[in-house]
Amino acid sequence: MTVVAERLVAALGPDAVHTDPEDLAVYAFDAYSENRLPTAAVVPKDVREVTQIVRIAADCNEPIVARGAGTGLCGGAVPTQGGIVISFSRLNRILWIDSANRRARVQSGLINLDLSKAAAHEGLFYAPDPSSQKASTLGGNVGTNAGGPHCLSYGTTTNHVIGLEFVDHRGEVVTVSQEDAGYDLTGILVGSEGTLGVVTAVEVRLLRLPEAVRVYLATFADVESASEAVSQIIGAGIVPTALEIMDKVITGAVEAAFHAGFPEDAGAVLLIETAGLADDMDGLELALARIAKGSGALSWRSARTQAECDNLWAARKGAAGAIGRLAPNYYIQDCTVPRTKLPEVMHRVDEIARDHRLVVGNVFHAGDGNLHPLLLFDRSRPRDVQAVADAGTEILDTCIAFGGTISGEHGIGYEKRESLTRLFSADDLATMGRVRDVLDPARRFNPDKIFPSSASCAEVRSPA
Amino acid sequence: MPRLVRAHKSAHGIDGLVAARTLEAQSEAHVAEILKAADAAGEAVVPIGGGTLLGIGNRPRRFDIALVTKRLSALHVYDYRDLTIGVGAGMTVAKFSATLAQHRQFIPLDAPNASHATVGGTLAAGWLGPRRAAYGRARDLLIGTTTVLADGTIAHAGGRVVKNVSGYDLSKLYVGSLGTLGVIVSANFKTLPLPPQFRLAVAPLPEGTRERAAQHVQRLEIEPTAALLLDGFRDVLPFEIGPEGAIVLAFEGSPSVIERATRSTRSALGAAGVPATRIVDAAAHEMFARIVDAYVATVPGRSLTLRVLGLPGGALARENAAREALAPTPALLDAIVDLRNGDAILRVFVDGRIDPLAVRGTLSDAVAALRARLPEATLLARGLVLDGEIDAWGSPPEALEMMRGIKGRFDPRGTLAPGRLVGEI
Repeated sequence: MTVVAERLVAALGPDAVHTDPEDLAVYAFDAYSENRLPTAAVVPKDVREVTQIVRIAADCNEPIVARGAGTGLCGGAVPTQGGIVISFSRLNRILWIDSANRRARVQSGLINLDLSKAAAHEGLFYAPDPSSQKASTLGGNVGTNAGGPHCLSYGTTTNHVIGLEFVDHRGEVVTVSQEDAGYDLTGILVGSEGTLGVVTAVEVRLLRLPEAVRVYLATFADVESASEAVSQIIGAGIVPTALEIMDKVITGAVEAAFHAGFPEDAGAVLLIETAGLADDMDGLELALARIAKGSGALSWRSARTQAECDNLWAARKGAAGAIGRLAPNYYIQDCTVPRTKLPEVMHRVDEIARDHRLVVGNVFHAGDGNLHPLLLFDRSRPRDVQAVADAGTEILDTCIAFGGTISGEHGIGYEKRESLTRLFSADDLATMGRVRDVLDPARRFNPDKIFPSSASCAEVRSPA
Repeated sequence: MPRLVRAHKSAHGIDGLVAARTLEAQSEAHVAEILKAADAAGEAVVPIGGGTLLGIGNRPRRFDIALVTKRLSALHVYDYRDLTIGVGAGMTVAKFSATLAQHRQFIPLDAPNASHATVGGTLAAGWLGPRRAAYGRARDLLIGTTTVLADGTIAHAGGRVVKNVSGYDLSKLYVGSLGTLGVIVSANFKTLPLPPQFRLAVAPLPEGTRERAAQHVQRLEIEPTAALLLDGFRDVLPFEIGPEGAIVLAFEGSPSVIERATRSTRSALGAAGVPATRIVDAAAHEMFARIVDAYVATVPGRSLTLRVLGLPGGALARENAAREALAPTPALLDAIVDLRNGDAILRVFVDGRIDPLAVRGTLSDAVAALRARLPEATLLARGLVLDGEIDAWGSPPEALEMMRGIKGRFDPRGTLAPGRLVGEI
């Protein structure tokens, strides 16, 4: 056993520390393909143990990777330099729900959906709902500033996190809140992908459950015309709670898996949700249906019952999983463009896939301009792997060229860090590095993530 | 040599301290030039927008240059069909709102004195408006910034799209930093569609009704976008406000929603013993702006305004605590209690009979008494010069040392607004 493992066992007990390679295998990767075994995986039961882990890691000069459920798609939880992985599977409690003030405080290992389930008893819900919400944790969501279909009207994780408790690089517990005077450290920690500290508890705001919810399904001949409808809806000043597009590749797979009733002959379906006061629902439906038809909708359907709505949503959220039916592997890209650019960008994505002789499926948060092209491939075929990598890069370049960004909600992680230089200047990145100089001077927290390798410590750190 | 452009002879004093010189920034590059030169020369620079929120924060330790951003007022990009906008930091909030209104959009910054306040200043001051529970804070609608650091580095963060996790969200760090980390030169936002109708419901409170009325307001079936209890500030509303003040509710939405909200509000307030609720439609925007202006409106020479944040459920209790704390002192209190967000805005003042020479001491003692009960109370506006005698900030945050570290890394020579922020950062 290594020195670091011995010290962890001495501090936390043998049950909390894994060091056997077969036990470590599950901590070696996330939903991205990269993998590397950590030296040890630790499952602390309280915050004090997290502070001990951070101190031991500092003493032994080992990197630390905080891990939620490992659903991240960009290698953000992969221990690329080995070291200690901290799993939050035991720190998964709701600490309190204050329904009068619509707040909740939870441990960072709590599963996203469990919070909304608990809050529903009080007529409340937690708005950010990544498609992984049945598995992903609040701590992981904080790391990537997770979004989800409903952030179109409710905003992403950062808009709902009031405060955080985290363990800093010295192994001290620090509590920060948006309500503190001084700098908004909460705002910086959200989306920092575990590179600034280990978040142990999250205080969030909850929203009232809407009085009325309706879900509509419009079909179109192709993704471009569905995207055009989305642009028209937003341009008309209507912001539904969700605007999601799935193309024919996706609806075919989803229909086979969920039997949601998606028409399989359409080139694309647009899922629209409106939520709010009952008084507004009819007027909104009229306006939305008119725009959809004006943009060439082939059909329009309202989900009338809760069961119908749930069914459509289950199909949408399970889309990525259903793709397994079509190909052995898929690569999901995540980037955002200005919403009016969607039709052009989707057309370009289609061309890129064709150029590389790849099948692309599109399922995405159209209302936010957040694309998720899924490139289908077979990992055992080297040609496929290279084609996917090349196509992925071209899609990113396209999004940047149209004024967009390289990650809408999945994060930069390990996968996209080299691409960050396409978006930001050396000065921009060095400015981010200044924050890290203070919160993680030894670059111990989640190394190799977000920042490009070319901008190694020396470059990302601005001149002293 | 940087181009030195002298502004009109407008002295931007901060708590009695006036800059040795005032420079008007002409461009992003010009800001970088000025900061770089000042940083090298060891001169302290305080960025100033419209100068409307200078009552927030401490007097700077040093104040050589007032860097006025008002000319950085260009509309950079307004993709109204994308619901995004990018503007120069010096654009006034009024111009910003008018630009958005042309396309029936809005961003509820709700900054006081909107015709002078700038977008950048409102961000840097961390202004928190009364509609933020409904629509989000300025930080929530901000999607990207360009900021010039003390050493002249021009740093971009975020972008022009509504959903973005590419690198650290540094824009959040600049909001509320009072210019101590950098000078915001431009800002991108996501915009919101303007609701078709805006209505205020105003209910004067009879004796003994305020607690129940506040509770009923917090449980209304249609949530107001702002819910304020005005206690004092008698010049703000054009009619009598009742012995316990008045509740002012803003409703926004379609006409049918507004009508339903009005009915349910009348019945909820009626049940709380509040018989009359007035409806204001035509003059609603103007009246709402007057209320927002009141947050920082001073009684010249005789008032200090403080703000206490907290949970909505405790908002009224905070005002009560302030009244109790001030009762033994000669100081009087006007208050705005935000029933949705939890803020208590406390204007502490003395009447004209107090010897002018004794005013500062009296108010200073009153603030000390208030802070004994509400240690987190921070200064929002001042009607008189304090010469740094009162700390503008309440109890320091737990992460103060970390904040000091960040300041040191961004501005090692203490060039930018030194000492303005909490803990004399």
